[in-house]
Amino acid sequence: MADPLKPRPAFAPWDRREIPGLFDVEESARRVGIYKWIEMRLFETLGGWVATVPELDVKLVLGRHCYHHAWHAELWDKRLPELREMNTTRLTVPANDAMEEFMESIREPEAPELTIEKLVGVYRVLIPRKVAAYTYHLNATSRITDAPTQRSLGFILQDEHADWTEGEMLLQSLIETEDEVDRAARRQVELEKMVLRAGGITGPGTLGEVPESVGAQVEGATA
Amino acid sequence: MKKNLPPSELARDSRFVRSTIMDAIMDPRNLAMSERDLGSAKLQPGRPAAADRARNLMHGIFTGEIQALEGAGRTTFDFDDDEAPFALKLDMARQCWDESRHVEISVKLGDWMGTEIGEFNEATFLYEAACATDPILRLCGVNRALEGLAIDVFNTMREFGDISGDPILEFCEDWMLADEVTHVKMGSDWLRRLTENDPERRERALEFQRGVDKLFSLGGFRGETEENPIQLARKLRAMAGFSTDEIDEISEISVQAQEDARAMSAGAAPSS
Repeated sequence: MADPLKPRPAFAPWDRREIPGLFDVEESARRVGIYKWIEMRLFETLGGWVATVPELDVKLVLGRHCYHHAWHAELWDKRLPELREMNTTRLTVPANDAMEEFMESIREPEAPELTIEKLVGVYRVLIPRKVAAYTYHLNATSRITDAPTQRSLGFILQDEHADWTEGEMLLQSLIETEDEVDRAARRQVELEKMVLRAGGITGPGTLGEVPESVGAQVEGATA
Repeated sequence: MKKNLPPSELARDSRFVRSTIMDAIMDPRNLAMSERDLGSAKLQPGRPAAADRARNLMHGIFTGEIQALEGAGRTTFDFDDDEAPFALKLDMARQCWDESRHVEISVKLGDWMGTEIGEFNEATFLYEAACATDPILRLCGVNRALEGLAIDVFNTMREFGDISGDPILEFCEDWMLADEVTHVKMGSDWLRRLTENDPERRERALEFQRGVDKLFSLGGFRGETEENPIQLARKLRAMAGFSTDEIDEISEISVQAQEDARAMSAGAAPSS
């Protein structure tokens, strides 16, 4: 047996976690607040749509995914006070007006014949954008100082990837004509342009360095 | 998407056939059938047409679960953050998942029992209870009244599965029953929390629940005598947060609903 008193390093040779990360506390909190706002709007939308889609399999999947996103919102809500944001509603906001308009547009389709438009918005535009933003956060923040956020991101990304796949499969099974291909594409283009105007789901810098102006706003908000 | 979707706009595929409670009550053929003396109306294997009745009931559970899913879903959407607390919406989202699984279980059980989607009609009165504009009325109508009825129905079906030697039916109903107890308890907890300092709102909510409970007693469908196909599950209801007085009240409402239905049927009977 090895000598129990022999000094060992705190980090095993294979443990390559480093500090610092790209995000300070304020930036991580800003993003988490935005994530919570998006997850809330998304689970409400899926819940509302359940009654409006006639396709039984889609109805049941929306019911299941509604809970997934509610759970994500709950995880972010619990994380905010740990990031010095005791009033969790203060940072639970859209990144900017364009992002709010984008989410309004996502939830707009209501008629029973618009299932393709509903699913395209969520599974071909919003969820891919969320996967990108969450993955960026996972890779950019410190795996030591922001480990609790990373742990939540890991669980959430598992759901997002599975739900994305399921939604895409539903769409492929619903799209049966060239006209329906056009409908899906038109809807996707319309929404992609909107999220582009927002600068991504967390605003400018979603997948890169945050512009100074955004960072300054955040410091003011959490001071 | 607009808030407060009316029952007439619930989306269904071409297999579903919709009817109203009044269609059933006012149908003279039903009156003639109810006058036949077949002994106990309790759902039990020895009764004539027990298998058909169980299949019909299973289809009713299936459509009821769809509407419960839709009702919970709409509650996550219809209310703004200042009207319904975040935690309440999370509970409703969780219920969406549960009801979604119940629909899946019901479809599988329907296959197992030999029925198919659309074989029986669908009434939308369950969803109608989920259309109140005050979230706590909605919680009382859906979680305490509708899900309370579900406890009674699933318990009756579980017993039917047991005595008729159908382990699949018994297994599935037992699992769904566990979820329903949670949903009813959720409704009881939210009623207490949201009306803690507002006795008038609590009374309005309980009054709404009484109305829904009467509707769900369906002219003697649920009660505590041999004449009631679905039996009131006292022990499980107590587990879900109902007091003995509340359970007694539901029992009395059921008796009253049965008498009302008899009077209505008699009034609808063609004079000969």
